[in-house]
Amino acid sequence: MTSDMKQATPGVVDAPEAGAPKKRRKIASLDRRKARSGWIFVLPFVIGFVIIYLPMIVESIVFSFNKIIPGDAGGGYTLQFVGWENYREALFVDPDFAQTLVSGLGQLLFDVPAIIIFSLFMAVMLNQKMVGRGVFRAIFFIPVILSTGIMENIEAMNILGESMEDTSGIDDGSGSSVADQLVTSMDLQRLFADMKVGSGIVEYVVNMINNIYDIVNRSGVQMLIFLAALQSISPAIYESCKIDGATSWETFWKITFPMITPMILVNGIYTIIDSFTAESNSVMRFISETYSSGDGQVLSSAMAWVYFLIVIAIVAAVGGVISAFVFYQRKSD
Amino acid sequence: MDAQQAPKKPMVRRESKNKIRVDFERTPLKERLKAKYLSVYFLGKVVWWIFRLVLMIGISYIVLFPFISKIAGSVMSPDDFVDVTVRLIPKNFSLDIYRAIIEELNYWSALRNTFTLSLICGVLQTFICALIGYGFAKFKFRGRGILFMLVLLTMIVPHQTLQLSMFMEFRYFDILGIVRLLKGGGIELFGHNIKDILPATAGFFESLNILPDKIQLFEYEEIVRGVAREAWWLEMDVSEDGINLINTYFPLMMLSLGGLAFKNGLYIFLLRQFFRGIPDELEESAYIDGSGTMRTFYRIILPLSIPMLITVFLFAFCWQWTDDFYTNLFFVTTDTNMLVKLVGTIPPSLRMDYAGQDLYYSAIRNTCGLMIIFPLVILYAFCQRFLVQGIEQSGLAN
Repeated sequence: MTSDMKQATPGVVDAPEAGAPKKRRKIASLDRRKARSGWIFVLPFVIGFVIIYLPMIVESIVFSFNKIIPGDAGGGYTLQFVGWENYREALFVDPDFAQTLVSGLGQLLFDVPAIIIFSLFMAVMLNQKMVGRGVFRAIFFIPVILSTGIMENIEAMNILGESMEDTSGIDDGSGSSVADQLVTSMDLQRLFADMKVGSGIVEYVVNMINNIYDIVNRSGVQMLIFLAALQSISPAIYESCKIDGATSWETFWKITFPMITPMILVNGIYTIIDSFTAESNSVMRFISETYSSGDGQVLSSAMAWVYFLIVIAIVAAVGGVISAFVFYQRKSD
Repeated sequence: MDAQQAPKKPMVRRESKNKIRVDFERTPLKERLKAKYLSVYFLGKVVWWIFRLVLMIGISYIVLFPFISKIAGSVMSPDDFVDVTVRLIPKNFSLDIYRAIIEELNYWSALRNTFTLSLICGVLQTFICALIGYGFAKFKFRGRGILFMLVLLTMIVPHQTLQLSMFMEFRYFDILGIVRLLKGGGIELFGHNIKDILPATAGFFESLNILPDKIQLFEYEEIVRGVAREAWWLEMDVSEDGINLINTYFPLMMLSLGGLAFKNGLYIFLLRQFFRGIPDELEESAYIDGSGTMRTFYRIILPLSIPMLITVFLFAFCWQWTDDFYTNLFFVTTDTNMLVKLVGTIPPSLRMDYAGQDLYYSAIRNTCGLMIIFPLVILYAFCQRFLVQGIEQSGLAN
């Protein structure tokens, strides 16, 4: 009820201002002044973008249409325009790039829903009242802060951790492989096949459980955003549902889920961007390997731009599809 | 409504209360307990409670295990890595790895440098992103939509793509040819230098050479491996092609000032959402009282948003702290010692050839990682409550 009243107030205030013809000029100038201050506020970004960022982007695009010809012994280089040659080479000549691209995008399709589902689930859990909620919250957000950058690299090289996790037996000196499979998918698959659950879903869930560490690590920000969204749903709605006799299951699907669909959109796009630009991404790794391999610099920038365009297309498509299902409580903005 | 019903209410309540009490007293205790604890509702609750607790503890274990295993490995002695009976609990406790890293890898100077850099970047990024976010949230101006798309663009373009350009940009840093002009290099337009086209002006341009070849500021004495030497906090080469900003804090500071550094798009987005949740009436009343937009921003809006600012600062500080991409890109020599550069160097006194070598070196790397994040753990312990609080207030759902 209070939110309705709040919504109504601006309209009431606006009406007389707009109605008074005498004040119109002054309002326009105020708007202009506000627009000017708006520019002042975003000025740091504009300057930074024009002076630092734009030249880098342009240079990278120029590189992708050229060949680098090394100069004389003194170093330096000259550029030779070759048109779409680099792009053709990246897409049709290089044997691995197209394949890595396809498998990388497939991985993205697997990761994004897994992270969204998991972070939503955890956010719902952490939003409930329970023993030690504060402690669990603190623990779950540790990876957001600590497991980034260099820690990710250390974790990738961590053979000690693997050998410690390995519980298969003392004499197993190899120290890998067995513990990686947290759940042996064969057992589970057989179990669920008897229950007539689709094998695709079973495989998906098994994969998800096997990659749980990775997923937990990468869903911290998403969890925070979902938690914030859950907190902002008015408790009065839940109360009225309870009075009407709705179960928690029904409340979740009829109230919670629609109310946080805007955040599913935001998180979906954030997750796509995040996993796409992550250093651990297979396509990114392939591109930086190409970059560091001899004269692959121009080729790698062509690859990067192809990849970039594809991901922009995916972001736009996903954004379009999800926003068709998004429910907005307030139609304003 | 209340006034009319108030006199009747107590009577109704007393009546029903009595009835319930009579019913309650007539039922024997056993039946009562049965009704309460053997219901599907109660059992469901208990099962859910246990399931939830087990799940939470399980996932906490997954999150914490890497840290536990690293700590365990860091206090083992070399012998434990070949002993197959040792898993998590060391047999021969030893702090050699910590000692070696602190003494031989200049841990304290690296810590100091990283702290300075992260603090500068964290504060700058928080403030600049708040400015930009506020501009996007509260003002309508032409081109706002396009500008915001550009912010998202900086998030989407992976920085690895711009690696080479970024290095070149700051290796030969020059804004609009000003450095070239002040170094006597003349003005370059479309690949041709005015100095070469009009030789008459050459003398004039060369007389403009007022910048020194080397900029050195803030001398101090540094002790590296027991030898004292003079060093400068700031040391840059200047040539006609531009200033060499590599190995200084400037590249990252400039990126921070432009809201272009690591993940700044996310901060701008979060802060924009947060500021949108603040009612406009607050600022309008300030404007009516004669306060300008800037003044309103730092006197009214910023104090209101402290939890959110702490959240963003926490992200900015910690992600800058552990970031290895920019640090390795902009700090190429060993002169400026950074924490993330310690990883991968094995302290000389720990180098040895034996069967457990790979595991031992892995443990050294892990210990290095632990020592890098240790200050962050302390910071997190103090700030974690702001993390949820700040985000909660952001009103993201609107």
